[in-house]
Amino acid sequence: MPNPLRSEGEMFRLLLYVIVVFAVLIAAILIVRAIS
Amino acid sequence: MEAASIAHAPGSGPRLPGHPAGAAEHEHHGPPPAHRSSRVDPQLLGMLLFIISEIMIFGAFFTAYFFIRVAQGDQWPAPGTQLPVYPTLVNTCILISSSFTMHWAQTSIKKGNRFGLKAGILTTFLLGVTFLFLQVNEYANIGFAPQDAAQQTIFYSLTGLHGAHVTIGLILLAIVTIRSWRGHYTPDEHRGVEVPGIYWHFVDIMWIVVYFTVYIV
Repeated sequence: MPNPLRSEGEMFRLLLYVIVVFAVLIAAILIVRAIS
Repeated sequence: MEAASIAHAPGSGPRLPGHPAGAAEHEHHGPPPAHRSSRVDPQLLGMLLFIISEIMIFGAFFTAYFFIRVAQGDQWPAPGTQLPVYPTLVNTCILISSSFTMHWAQTSIKKGNRFGLKAGILTTFLLGVTFLFLQVNEYANIGFAPQDAAQQTIFYSLTGLHGAHVTIGLILLAIVTIRSWRGHYTPDEHRGVEVPGIYWHFVDIMWIVVYFTVYIV
């Protein structure tokens, strides 16, 4: 099981994952606000 | 007791004739030495426990934030105030960039590239200083004070708590930068870069969450 705190590389991959998830969330919020 | 534990440490058992060192390690059974995890090195275990405690601190501040916005139902941001969403987005990009340069420094020293280590760690430090400078500049020009209302208090508390973590990270990065220039770290021994790197990525992840909840939602 991957542990993001075990190495810098794994923590960096977790950061990339968080960036993608929050970028999608922000885009969705901006689109919903623009439509409504 | 300690000596008995050390005798059972992986790789410290008797080597059988004709068996490579790796085979002897596979023959190890039983618990790890006392006061040690069998899975994580002590330095990394310390950082892991520290980051878990940090998440709980941020959790306490987020609880106050959600209490104001959800339980109280107060308007966010407070009436008559405005948060600089886009300037802070630029600042967010600066901080995220610093994680990439940190990763560059780490991968460079793993390959024995000392220039990459020094350039990466110095760039990370300068990007972190820039982030902190812009954050202070934002405080100076935002137009409200922490004591004005509950919303303002939690705004300064959450962003200030994160700013304190950036400051600690910059102190760690300054130490790593100086040690890099003095010729420390090798492809085999670079724990001093790895552990601050984990902390720095954690600070970046936490900022993404803070930015999203405070500035966007």
